[in-house]
Amino acid sequence: MNLRFLLLALFVSAALSASVAHALGEPSRVEIRAVDVGQAEPRPTAPRRLAWEIRKRTSIETVLRPGRVRLADPRLFESPFLYWPGSEAFEPLSEAEIVGLRRFVEFGGFVLVDDNGPANGGFDRSLRRALTRAFPGQPLAPLPADHTVFRSFYLLDRPVGRVRGPTHLEGIERGGRLAVVYSRHDLGGAWARDNLGSWVHPVTPGGEAQREVAIRLGVNLVMYALCLDYKDDQVHAPFIMRRRGGGGP
Amino acid sequence: MTETFDPMPELAVPGGWVVALVAGLAFAALVAFEVHRGTRGWLLGLRIATAMAGWLLCVQPRWVVERIDEREGRVTVLVDGSRSMEVGDRAQTVRALLDRWEGDSDEATLQRFGSLLEPASWQDLDAAVRPRDDETRLAAALESLVEADVGERLGAVVVVSDGAESDEIDPAFVAAESLRGVRVHTVSVGADEQLRDDALVSLEGDRVGFLRRPAQVRVGLRVSGGGDRNIPVTLYEGNEVVAEQVAHVAEGETTTVVLPFVPRRLGRGVYRVAIPVEADDDVPANNERAFLIHVQRDKLRVLLVAGHPTWDVRFLRSFLERDPGIDLISFFILRTTSDLTMAPPDELALIPFPTDELFREHLGSFDVVVFQDFDYGPYQMASYLPRIRAYVERGGSFAMVGGEKSFASGGYADTPIADILPVDLPRIDDPQPGLDERLVTLGSYAPEVDAERIRHPLVALGADPTATASAWARLAPLEGANLVDGVRAGAQVLLSHPRARARRGGKLPLLVTGTFGQGRVLALTTDTSWRWGLPSGGVSGDATAHERFWDRSLRWLSRDPSLEPAHVTTDRERYGPEATVRVRAHLRDARYQPLSLRSVRLALLDAAGAETSGADVVLDAEGQAEVELLGPTAAGAYRAVALDLSPSAAQEQHIAEQWFVVESGGEELADPRARPDRLQAWSEATGGSSHRASDAPSLDSFDATRTEHLGTVSRAPFASPWMLPLVAAIFSLEWWVRRRAGAR
Repeated sequence: MNLRFLLLALFVSAALSASVAHALGEPSRVEIRAVDVGQAEPRPTAPRRLAWEIRKRTSIETVLRPGRVRLADPRLFESPFLYWPGSEAFEPLSEAEIVGLRRFVEFGGFVLVDDNGPANGGFDRSLRRALTRAFPGQPLAPLPADHTVFRSFYLLDRPVGRVRGPTHLEGIERGGRLAVVYSRHDLGGAWARDNLGSWVHPVTPGGEAQREVAIRLGVNLVMYALCLDYKDDQVHAPFIMRRRGGGGP
Repeated sequence: MTETFDPMPELAVPGGWVVALVAGLAFAALVAFEVHRGTRGWLLGLRIATAMAGWLLCVQPRWVVERIDEREGRVTVLVDGSRSMEVGDRAQTVRALLDRWEGDSDEATLQRFGSLLEPASWQDLDAAVRPRDDETRLAAALESLVEADVGERLGAVVVVSDGAESDEIDPAFVAAESLRGVRVHTVSVGADEQLRDDALVSLEGDRVGFLRRPAQVRVGLRVSGGGDRNIPVTLYEGNEVVAEQVAHVAEGETTTVVLPFVPRRLGRGVYRVAIPVEADDDVPANNERAFLIHVQRDKLRVLLVAGHPTWDVRFLRSFLERDPGIDLISFFILRTTSDLTMAPPDELALIPFPTDELFREHLGSFDVVVFQDFDYGPYQMASYLPRIRAYVERGGSFAMVGGEKSFASGGYADTPIADILPVDLPRIDDPQPGLDERLVTLGSYAPEVDAERIRHPLVALGADPTATASAWARLAPLEGANLVDGVRAGAQVLLSHPRARARRGGKLPLLVTGTFGQGRVLALTTDTSWRWGLPSGGVSGDATAHERFWDRSLRWLSRDPSLEPAHVTTDRERYGPEATVRVRAHLRDARYQPLSLRSVRLALLDAAGAETSGADVVLDAEGQAEVELLGPTAAGAYRAVALDLSPSAAQEQHIAEQWFVVESGGEELADPRARPDRLQAWSEATGGSSHRASDAPSLDSFDATRTEHLGTVSRAPFASPWMLPLVAAIFSLEWWVRRRAGAR
């Protein structure tokens, strides 16, 4: 038996007897905190549903009741992950909000922007205008299909959400890391459940299989925000290459 | 000065004599056929004179004269004082020769040379001939002599030497460029010796090496006399043998051996190469040489193991990844078996945790191991914990960062990891009566910097204690901490919780440093140090405190010399024998507090620890002092050390040290064979004579006539403005005579 799989078997069996965790409190946990730009949340349950899926599926400890924060609020910097949903055009950000967003990203924060209404284009126009002001000279660029966000936990081929959408995500890099990711797939629409646990929105055209991929993409994005290019480490790359069956580059 | 003309001066004629002769004959023939026989002679003469005058006017021939200055000068005797003169009886031979010359030395001055030109005295011949210089720079000495001869009274230099020069410069070049006609007579010593010598003729070590990376030194060996030999070559670090090799060396040839070694300490490292000294070896001084290597860290190799992805993990890893000086291997536990991934393994980008490879095969290759919120239990790692303890005991570094899976919460109590940590861990399953049973404390707090250790590099955020305190006050508060029982003896608490108490009492320590065996350990009992980055930066605009803290922590853990509390430095790395060694000390205690007004001894020790010189000093308020000490006489590796002389020190406590090398001989004795051929070349190039010491003439018989070529003088005798009227007059006369003779 391959040594690695023997280790994995040992690791699996031992993990069942893991000691009881004594958390150092909510501030140590990962919060999917939503951005408030003065509009109603189009997918209000999406962040906590994603938080729950992440806690259930991975070793990441998440805050199950994430909050909202405005970009000019000093509390913006208390959590390095921002989920910025939107389905409609929004008013131009104030200068304080632009400075807050820029500083948040500059100091290591990660922003996931989710266009929940990709069909109408209003949010897209407003969002691009805001990002251009916050990061002049650094426009959103398509992410390649082999980017780490597609293999940070699950192995994914392309992004999907409530809608199939474009074949790529867009992003802005800062300091060698992806700092802003923009999805036009309505990820939140695929994640959202109502209080009874039912899915709020149907997923088209792939149905529940597509919803599962959308959840996995959400997990991957949070995992990337926490681990960055961990999966690109030389130790991991050959192993992942073999599993993909595609050989070396 | 007399000016003399060359007896065969060169008349420089443009176009050449042949052309001039042919033109003159053709002109004469033309005249001869044209004029009556009676006046033919006059006309021919006039026409030739006209042609010659015209030709000289046109081509302007030049008269070139070489000026030579010849005059009688005085004699200077130049004695070789380099260390190669100590071989055999060379120095005694020179002394005997000088004794013989002393009687006729009325006009002769005496100088000695080695690396420099030095005055010597006929009244102290012992000092004049004593071999002590590590170089033989004859060309430089001769140039200095001539330059110093202001009145140009020097006529000749009599060099008494073995001819074993450090650099073989072309004597003809030096004579033409610098010696200004001074003759160099040479007297060779040692030319008839039958030298028996095993020698290290060359030593080429890497000047810069990398910690724990293979380095090498190339050693050149030569034997003279005694035939082919097998010579064991040994490389020492201090007194420890680090490499040994036997080389076969053929008589008269040079053999090179390569000795590999692995530097194991950062900073200045001194190594020695030695070969045995046989009883009949004429030059034992060239059987050992030392070299110095600057050992750097190519990259700090860090193993980061995280129990799960957290912001603390992310920001630490992000910093480590970006630092080009760090080679990071990180492993994160991305899921546990209680997690439901909702996917088969082939849809997951997960790999097993390679515990065996990391903790059995490669553990020793890491400089620092960091456990960050990692519990070992689920991964069958109990058998590896003793290895980690042994790794630290041998000199490795270990840090544990807090979290819900760290310290006691990670089940490390009563494990080998608990042995090495600088804090005492409560047992998770053994609550003690009267002690707090919780393993963590919650809530927000601003850590307190220990006042006595505020200069410690891990917490010194400012240039002075006031600035440091102010910088800490601006940082975002931390959240939660692991509880510990207390602090180990000898450990240093740098940060404390402002309210929470350790289970045995006292403030709950947050940042504790310590040692275990040869290694260093660090405990940070919170998982929110990342808040010194983003949250602090968001408020103050400065997010660098987190990276600064971890940069210094890793450097301190890996014993970066620049973060050591005490430093001793020398003004140079290499010295000659008996040189002045300037030693500076900047001494602080383990808390990085200056050893103000402390009595210390700054001393030079040889490799065996014996003091060669030293001085007692009192440090200033900043713990600094500087002294000048007489350097060691013998070649080898030495240390400048600071020894604590205070009454509180039970014995002379060694505070800090710095290695340096004394190079005696070195290249000078690498090849001490006499070179009469070199001396003869000097004589031939300068018009001097060469002799052996045994047949050297009396001092006053050396030719001291200085012959200096002063260059050439060029004159143009037909450049006078009267030349043109002269030519016209001759031509007019010739024309008149010709007309009178009836010719056209």
